[in-house]
Amino acid sequence: MPKCFKRDRFVCISGFCNCFGFRISDFEFSTAMIFFVILLILTFIAQIVEIFIPPLEWMYNAHIYIVPIIVFYGAMSLPFPLVMILAFFAGFMLDALTAQVIGGRVEISLGWSILLYAVLAAIMHGLRPLFIRGRWEVHCIMSGLCTSAILLSQYLMISFRRGSLVFTREAWWQIGGPGVIAMIMAPLLFWVLHTLSQATRNPYLPDEEAYE
Amino acid sequence: MNRSSIIALVILGLILAYFLSFGAEGTRKLQAGFYKVVSPFLSTGSGLKKQITSVSSGLQTLEELERDNTSLKVENRALKATNQALRDVENEVNRLRRALAYRERSVFRLVPAEIITRDSSTWWRTATINRGKTDGIEPDQPVVTDIGLVGKTTTVAENISIVLLISDENCKVACSVEGTREQGIVSGERVTGSVTPMLDLNFLSKQANLGPGPKVYTSGVGGVFPSGLLVGVVQSFRVRELDGQARVTPAVDLSRLEDVFVVTGRK
Repeated sequence: MPKCFKRDRFVCISGFCNCFGFRISDFEFSTAMIFFVILLILTFIAQIVEIFIPPLEWMYNAHIYIVPIIVFYGAMSLPFPLVMILAFFAGFMLDALTAQVIGGRVEISLGWSILLYAVLAAIMHGLRPLFIRGRWEVHCIMSGLCTSAILLSQYLMISFRRGSLVFTREAWWQIGGPGVIAMIMAPLLFWVLHTLSQATRNPYLPDEEAYE
Repeated sequence: MNRSSIIALVILGLILAYFLSFGAEGTRKLQAGFYKVVSPFLSTGSGLKKQITSVSSGLQTLEELERDNTSLKVENRALKATNQALRDVENEVNRLRRALAYRERSVFRLVPAEIITRDSSTWWRTATINRGKTDGIEPDQPVVTDIGLVGKTTTVAENISIVLLISDENCKVACSVEGTREQGIVSGERVTGSVTPMLDLNFLSKQANLGPGPKVYTSGVGGVFPSGLLVGVVQSFRVRELDGQARVTPAVDLSRLEDVFVVTGRK
């Protein structure tokens, strides 16, 4: 596809963003957007798939979480505003699917998961210099830690709501287990997403840092 | 931090503030709307999961057949496959017959429903069913099987509803113990490490001294659950500082739920 044609298609969106202070060139914006939209779709699919993955009985019923890994990869490979939109999307879906309305109260209000994802994604975005230097292992470990951090935060919130803090061996496994699984899955998922990112010519990749 | 990042943060902050201001009703409406959007995906996913499960069980049968005599292998495989298919149909017929019989003899108006997903999150014991507002289902309606109590509906979308299972700590059910005057509140555990969760029957008298075996039924106090629904069987009893507490095994195997009924009223 000719470059000028692509440019025409995205010039309106880019122009809109420029009005609000986004200084992104048209071409860079369009190519970043393609990968961003792919990540949004993958996040949605992963969230639905997660629902059908049964908990691991041998790991004290720990669940498998895929969405955080996708969001954290997005945090390393997208501009900050798009990272926040991705975090919002993932957090909103998590809240909408899991919010418990019991009687007249909500156990964890809508918005908390968005906040959690936004904070953790911002931390991961802050570690981008390491990603640029090719130090992926740090992000794999961080993906596991951040996944566990989401679960720990949720557990602390519901404990606060329910009025007692109980940390059993099962609770620790259900917090730490998904983190360990995320750490193990992260290299493979990062590789797949990185390949996709390169295929879509995402300008925010380490090799093409000149675009930043 | 550049200007675009600051703008993104401000917009996110505003949206967050808007969402955090939602009350229970607003959250329920938004959640119902979201479930309406994702319900086709959930139904498709549920169907795919069933197909994958049936394929994997079929492969096991083939492994067994491979060990058989080579001359009988082909014939045996065909026979076994046919037999398995018929057995599946027979099980399905029996299951539906039991469900239909229960629906007919029950004193309640029941809406049959199928479980789409269950235990999809770490901290909440919930299931989703393929019935919603269009089927006359409302929030806080009891969900049962022919064996006993399963839980209650919380958020109801157009064609899908969330069921809070009795194994969740938030699902509190007023119960009485068979053969005694003891009454208490049954609730689930916050964290469970096993597939089959246990329930706690709290606020019993210290003198209850229950042994294993007595059945626990809903007492009808509270207004959500009608009286006389089987909740579980007492496993053990212990005296606490202020009350007695019994451990109860749920009557319904919550890990293998397939078909349930939503109680929409009395006949």
